[in-house]
Amino acid sequence: MMRRIPIVQGEHAVVAEPGVIISTLLGSCVAVCLQDPVARVGGMNHFLLGEPTEGLGDRVGQERYGVHAMELLINRMMQQGAARNRLRAHLYGGANIIAGLGAIGSSNAAFARRFMETEGIAVGRCELGGTKARKVEFMPYEGRVRSSVVADAPPPVLNIKPLTPPDDGDVELF
Amino acid sequence: MPAASAIKVMVVDDQTSMRAMIRRALQDLGFKDIRDKPGAVEALPAVKTDRVHLIISDYNMPDMDGLQFLEAVRADPVIGKTVFIMLTGSADREVVQKAAALGVNNYVVKPFAPAALKEKIERVFGELT
Repeated sequence: MMRRIPIVQGEHAVVAEPGVIISTLLGSCVAVCLQDPVARVGGMNHFLLGEPTEGLGDRVGQERYGVHAMELLINRMMQQGAARNRLRAHLYGGANIIAGLGAIGSSNAAFARRFMETEGIAVGRCELGGTKARKVEFMPYEGRVRSSVVADAPPPVLNIKPLTPPDDGDVELF
Repeated sequence: MPAASAIKVMVVDDQTSMRAMIRRALQDLGFKDIRDKPGAVEALPAVKTDRVHLIISDYNMPDMDGLQFLEAVRADPVIGKTVFIMLTGSADREVVQKAAALGVNNYVVKPFAPAALKEKIERVFGELT
C-alpha cells in the first residue's frame, strides 16, 4: 500500500522509506525533487520565489524564498543521512500560466537551474516552463519521478501558506 | 556610529547560494571587507590568521555546526571576543538559547530580509553609517 504525502506552496517533505509518494500541483511555482541514491533519502519542496507583498525593490528579497526553501530541504535530507555531493535533482514547474503575471514562471525556472549549477547539484529530469499546470509525483526511496500536464487552467489554490519570515522576537535575549 | 565599510566580516554557510545572498545583503548595507567560507572547519583557522570584527555563521552545517564554531571562537584567547551573529531556522529556539549561553551576540532567523540583518548588526555595533 503506497502512502501519499501531498505538499503545497511553502512546504517540503523528506522520505527515507519505500512505498511513499510525495506529490504536488504546480503552476508558476517550482518543485525540486532531490535524491541521494546511495542513502536512499529524498525529498521535494514547492516554492514561489516572488513575494508579492514586499521586496519588489529588494534584489535579495526576490530570491531568499527559493534559497531558503532549498536549504530547508537539503538540511533535512542531510539530517537523515544524505550527502550533499551525491544529490541529484529533478526540476518541475515554472510555467507562465496566468496572463498579466508576466514571466514569473520563467524567472522561477531560471532560479532553479541557476541554483543547481551554483551548488554543483546534478540535474536529471528538467521539465520547466510552458504554459500549463503540472502534477508531480516523486518516490524518493525508489528514485522514481513522474509528471503530467493537468489542464490549461492554473491549479486550484490549496491552503496557501506564504513563506514569510517567522516571528523571531519570541526568544528575546538582547 | 561605525562605518560599515570599516567592519571586516566572515560569512560562514555551507550553501553557496546563501553565502552569495548574505554577501549581497551586506554590500547593500555598505560593507566592503567581506570574506566567506563553506564551513566552520575552514573558517576557524581563517579568522585566527586574518582577524575579523564580525562573524556571521549558519547554525546547521555538517562537520562542525554553528554552536561548536561559536564555542571554539569564544575559547580562543585571541579571537574570543569577536562579534558572532548566528543564522538559525525558525524551529531552532533551543539552539538560540544554547548560543546565548555560549556568548553569541545576536541571531537572525532564516529566511531574513536585509533590514532584519541590519537591525541585528546595529544592535551590537550601533547605528551603521
